[in-house]
Order: sequence, then C-alpha cells, then structure tokens
Amino acid sequence: MADTNPIKQFEVHELVPFEAFGLNLAFTNSSFFMVLTTVLTIVLFSLAMSSRALVPNRSQSVAEIIYGFVADMLRSSAGAEGLRFFPFVFTLFIFILVANMLGMFPYFPAPGAHSFTVTSHLIVTVALAMLVWLTVIIYGVFKNGPKFLKLFVPSGVPIYILPFVTLIEVISFISRPISHSVRLFANMLAGHILLKVFAGFIVMLGAGLGAGGYLLGIFPFAMTLGLTALEFLVAFLQAYVFAVLTCIYLSDALHPGH
Amino acid sequence: MSRKDESQRDPSISDLDSLQQRIEARREKYRPKQDKAPASAWSLGMRYGSEFFGGVLVGGALGLVLDYFAGISPWGLMAGTMFGFAAGTLNVVRAAREIGSESQDE
Repeated sequence: MADTNPIKQFEVHELVPFEAFGLNLAFTNSSFFMVLTTVLTIVLFSLAMSSRALVPNRSQSVAEIIYGFVADMLRSSAGAEGLRFFPFVFTLFIFILVANMLGMFPYFPAPGAHSFTVTSHLIVTVALAMLVWLTVIIYGVFKNGPKFLKLFVPSGVPIYILPFVTLIEVISFISRPISHSVRLFANMLAGHILLKVFAGFIVMLGAGLGAGGYLLGIFPFAMTLGLTALEFLVAFLQAYVFAVLTCIYLSDALHPGH
Repeated sequence: MSRKDESQRDPSISDLDSLQQRIEARREKYRPKQDKAPASAWSLGMRYGSEFFGGVLVGGALGLVLDYFAGISPWGLMAGTMFGFAAGTLNVVRAAREIGSESQDE
C-alpha cells in the first residue's frame, strides 16, 4: 500500500550535509526548491524578454502583464512614490507565486522524488514577513525621522485615552509580521494536507475493498480534481494577498501620518 | 504595426496614442465583470483569524515580558492580553475596511 501519510510531503531532509560554527547548515530539499524557484524565475523571464520586441509575442506579453500587474498594485496602494519599492515587491510576489506553483506538482523529479512547497513552512514565510516589516521600520525612520512615530499616534484622539490607543497601535504594529506570515503558511499547509488526504482515500479504498473500492474511488478522485483547481487559485491568491499587504505596509513607511 | 518615416514624428506619436486608446477600449470591453479574483470564504476567514490571533499573541507576549522584568506576575499577562484583544480587534476592523473599500471600487 502506498504511503498515505498526509504530512510526509512537508518533511525536510538533508541533501548535502554541511556544518559550520556548530550550526547545521545542510543543503536541504527546502533549499533546493528555493534555489529552483529563483533559477526558474530568472530563466523564464530572460527567455520571455529576450526578443525585446516593441510588439510583444506571447511569452513577452505574459512577462509584461505580470510587471504591469505589480506596478498597478503598488501605485494604487502606496502612490507613485511607492514605485521605488517596485523591485522588492516584484521579487516577493514572483518568488511566492513560483514557489506555490512548484508545490502544485504532484510528483517532481527532484532529490527525495516528491514535490515540496517552500511556503508551507512557517520559517520561510516568517523570514519574508520580517524582511517586509524591517524594511518598513528602517526605511520609515530613515526617511521620516521621528515623524515615523506618528504612525502610532492617531490624530483627533482625546488626550486622556491617547496612551492606551498608542499602546494598542504599537501592539497592532508588532503583530503585523505574525498575521502576514501565518496567513500564507496556513493557507498553503491546509490546502496541501487536504489534497493529500483526499488523494489518500482513493488508495485506501482500493487497498481495502479491491475492485469495488477502486470504483468508489471515483468520488474522492473527483474531489481531488476540484481541490487541485482550487489550490491553483489559492496559490495565486496568496501570493497576491502577500504582495498587496506588503504594499499597504510600505505605504505606512512613506506616509506615516495616515 | 507599419513602420512610418522617422522624420514624421508627430503623426507616429499620435498613431501610437490612438493605438493605446484602441487597446484600452478593447481591454475595457473584455474585462471580466468582477476584476479581483473572488476571495474565497476560507481565505477571508483566515485573514481575519490571523489578524486577531496576531494581536492577542503579541499583547500576551508583551505582558509576559513585563511580568518577567517587573515581577508583577500575573498582572502584566492579564493587562497585555486585554490590550492584545483590543489590538486584534483594531486589526480586524482595518482589514474589514480594506476589503470593503476594495469591493466598493468595482
């Protein structure tokens, strides 16, 4: 009977053991998929843009549409000034999108021979969210100086509740990277577990009931089919949501006075 | 696109402009009624949930830190959780306002 453990797909195992300064810095299948995501993005975009035609062909159109999509997103939530963050937001969006899409391969000719979704690990999404959060703080302080603290002091609040409101604003600000990262991580994790559980039902029915079980297996198979389509939507949607929230947070760094 | 004489710059620019207008018009025509991908209920709930959860978690953690350094256990945790609750609610209200304004634009 095939392995139907729905959690197994998230296992991280070492491919190239490496240790330095007492830390385990092995190259894992997670690192492999991150490198693959980056290389694939660079190669695909280079290929798509290689003709540099005024009238784009199909692949160049796709690249230009993605470019325009992210630029519009950034412009609408952070203003024209926000476009200086375009490379940052574009990189985040593409990295998450390609990593999510790579995770949708049911089988992958990779070490360990199973697909792996980088963004279904909290440590990866936390690293991305902290990157955004620290960028907001560092750039906000660098650009606005002490005026950046206005972010925590909303205008038009009576003085006697101002300390409480400020405290709540500070907590709300600190909680940003948590909600930012947990959302992406939980969506990917839950979606992939659900897929694997329903796919596992097919195998279990077949192994348990023989030929009749395989006939019954049509139902979980239909479910898996539908869920796969849904997961593609989620993979895109979560990359989009992550990028939109990044834009909104970056706009706070640019205009802290609300 | 036919290549025009290089010396006649103005006509070619107006050509480009009209081409741009035609492209926009066609885009408008084929634009789906609902531009944004339909936010599934699951992702919406996930969004509100994580916003609220983050607020309470950070508030409680700050309270615990205060307890540890000021030695006023359990009051820091209690007050921190309360403030975290308020911050979580604020987060949810903000998220709801964002989502509301997004759907109003359409």
